[in-house]
Amino acid sequence: MFTLKLITPAVLGSFLIAAVGTVPVQAQTIEMVMSPPAVETNRYWNTPGDFALGPSMQGLVGHDPVTGAYDNSGLAESWSHNDDFTVWTFKLKPEAEFHFGWGAVTAADVVHSLALHTGPDTTLNGISQLEGAVAEAIDDHTVTFTLPAPQVDFLFVHGGRGSLVIYSKAQFDKEGLEGYDAKPAGTANLQYVERNIGQGLTFEKVENHWSGQDAQYDRLELNFVAEPATTLAQLLSKEADIVILPRELQGDALGAGFKAIPSTNASNQTTMLFNGTFLLPGYDGLDETLPWLDIRIREAINRSIDRQAVIDVLYDGRAEILPVFGMDPRHEGYVPELAERFEAAYGYDLEKAQALMAEAGYPESFSNPVIPILSSTLAGNPEFPAMAELMQVFLDEAGFQTEIVEMDWASLGGLRSAREAKMFHPMRNLPVKPSAVGIRNYYSATGGPRNNYEDEVIEGLMEKYMVSIDVDERNELAGAIFTRVFEQYAVAPLASISAEVIVNPETVSAWTFPGTTSVGVSHFGSIVPAN
Amino acid sequence: MLRFIFTRLSHMLIALFVITVIVFSLSHLTGSPIDALLPDDATQQQIDSLTEHLGLDRPYYVQYLTFLQNAAVGDFGDSTKWKGNTAAAVVLERLPATLKLGGLAVLISVVVAIPLGVLSAVWRGSVFDRMAGVIALLGQSFPAFWLGIILMWIFAVMLGWFPTSGYGGLSYMILPAIAMAWFQIAALTRLTRSAMLEVLDTEYVKLARVKGVNERSVIWKHAFRNAAIVPVTYFGVLAGSLLTGSVVVETVFAWPGTGLLAIDAIRGRDFPVVQSVVMFFAVFYLLANFLVDVLYAVVDPRIRFS
Repeated sequence: MFTLKLITPAVLGSFLIAAVGTVPVQAQTIEMVMSPPAVETNRYWNTPGDFALGPSMQGLVGHDPVTGAYDNSGLAESWSHNDDFTVWTFKLKPEAEFHFGWGAVTAADVVHSLALHTGPDTTLNGISQLEGAVAEAIDDHTVTFTLPAPQVDFLFVHGGRGSLVIYSKAQFDKEGLEGYDAKPAGTANLQYVERNIGQGLTFEKVENHWSGQDAQYDRLELNFVAEPATTLAQLLSKEADIVILPRELQGDALGAGFKAIPSTNASNQTTMLFNGTFLLPGYDGLDETLPWLDIRIREAINRSIDRQAVIDVLYDGRAEILPVFGMDPRHEGYVPELAERFEAAYGYDLEKAQALMAEAGYPESFSNPVIPILSSTLAGNPEFPAMAELMQVFLDEAGFQTEIVEMDWASLGGLRSAREAKMFHPMRNLPVKPSAVGIRNYYSATGGPRNNYEDEVIEGLMEKYMVSIDVDERNELAGAIFTRVFEQYAVAPLASISAEVIVNPETVSAWTFPGTTSVGVSHFGSIVPAN
Repeated sequence: MLRFIFTRLSHMLIALFVITVIVFSLSHLTGSPIDALLPDDATQQQIDSLTEHLGLDRPYYVQYLTFLQNAAVGDFGDSTKWKGNTAAAVVLERLPATLKLGGLAVLISVVVAIPLGVLSAVWRGSVFDRMAGVIALLGQSFPAFWLGIILMWIFAVMLGWFPTSGYGGLSYMILPAIAMAWFQIAALTRLTRSAMLEVLDTEYVKLARVKGVNERSVIWKHAFRNAAIVPVTYFGVLAGSLLTGSVVVETVFAWPGTGLLAIDAIRGRDFPVVQSVVMFFAVFYLLANFLVDVLYAVVDPRIRFS
């Protein structure tokens, strides 16, 4: 609830107004409701990247709230790299300070944070980008990262995705990890107040923040609510000012006069994967009975899907058709022609799909013609079960034999680790990752064991791509990989979507965030209260 | 009596041992916590490193023996979802919330169900009796999560009388407590009613009436005291079902008790917390039933001598 709590007692306040002619000071609290994170801890490196600490903690690099481009709104004022992208140097802002009097941010804090984040207990998403990285403090405000291999996209781990956020070494030296558990010092314009396990976190405004940009409200309460219906009830009863709702419930909120605020850029891509398509020669684990090993079946499945219907049903029409999963105009390797060719190559066409199935001899020529479609839930993607049902409807209509396999996401993870996830299953790319990371995760053996597709051509291109330090060449190689993915129907790309929050317009007038974090939202300090 | 108590206690210990085996086996059968903890793009090195870090690379029997040894002293290990906390500490922190809510739900159940059951029996076949029957039928038919959401929408969203959800004082507890109590009201009402009907038909009650004892004394002093033995035996079940019911209701109302904790821990495959919660539930249930057994034996001597 957006509460207006008189800090001074009413009577005294009235007296003061009369006496000095000023308006009474009011404390403003923004209440935001979101799903509980996978892991609740103040030790960020022990989470997969659920950045509930985002309001108070920062990385070295920031993002422009409108374009999403990297900028120096983080802790580094500038950065540079050597010619082959193996040494990155960051200059820290001398004015940057930790909360609670833990002093200035120095290069030693960065070195300390890297050690924490790459320890044996790390569970961070994307931590592979920091594997083998060595940080060295050159002086108090200069730190270098020496990498074992070139990394053109190294800023990604320092930005909104936040694989490396900066903790205070001084606090650790004095209080140990228990200090972080109790009250971690961050650097943003909101500071940590408390965590109530299972309930949420509270932050408060830092007065006269070192960045010169104070938050426009006094407190932020992040409340964890697992049930979407309960979240909607909190919004409709105006207990909450901002909520993250599944799309199927957003209509109720919008119909009641609440407002949707999307991220300024796409934050998430969704797709269905043909997992188990490991086509590298000599791979012993290939299950040759999988029907989608035949490219005609992959194309037929893609042509059986009415993507506009998917977007209308799952995303209330507020999404874009995605031409290639992993490809994005903001990152290298974007091939505009693929978007132009998409309708011709992937467009909804049942006749074409059935012709392809007949040509492939489906189902007679397949020993195991059933397409198992995974129905599962994943925090941040509540539409996945409905997506599975839609896929079954489309595929059944085309004449495929299908079955729904219900499984929790963690179990799918286990199967993927064992390379046994032989299913047509949903996947997301949140936040939209740099091309090299996306390609590695989904289409290359270098992303093993949890990748889903491999072929000789991509592997050859990938070898060159991973070592290339020439911008043009990288762009060309990434583009070639995406083109191969497209032409091989390696996955069934579905939609490119923005992160959305629903707000009570009586209490929140604006919030600009670029959709660059693993929870979609960021820039909490720039929430603008309605009054 | 001592022998009776000793026998019941030894049964409890055997049950507890069996429960440890079941809890350990089932939690491991649900899969590895590694799969829940690590991200989608986890590398093999990350998987291996965390497996070793959590001790999951050791044989199952070694893991079980370690679990048993530590559980005996209340140590269930460190939580993997709530890092920096032991599993037992997480459960203990959430316990008061569940006890508060469960306590209120028990109170509501007893205060509503006992008079309802007694008066239904006394006015058998009346409109009141039929209404009580409808309440009991509805209570046993409504799923708690559905009832919870309906209560929330009517009394919090539409009428604004109560907060929708969350943790707080009495106003936050009323809706979830009703959602939790409704089923028990139904069960307890029916039990009380049938026990009262039986007692009201006995010779000593008829004799009391013939002797001119006033009706209030007949009902509450002579009949209810003897009929109460049946609802008393139900309290063990009531206590246990309020705990298990808390899993659903706490989730719907975002009430941060052990029920919601159990769901969160299962989703996150936090083995230490899952084991800790289930063991707590089991001990609570066993203790409640033990107390009921003893109480029953005190009330009815035939039990302790049988």
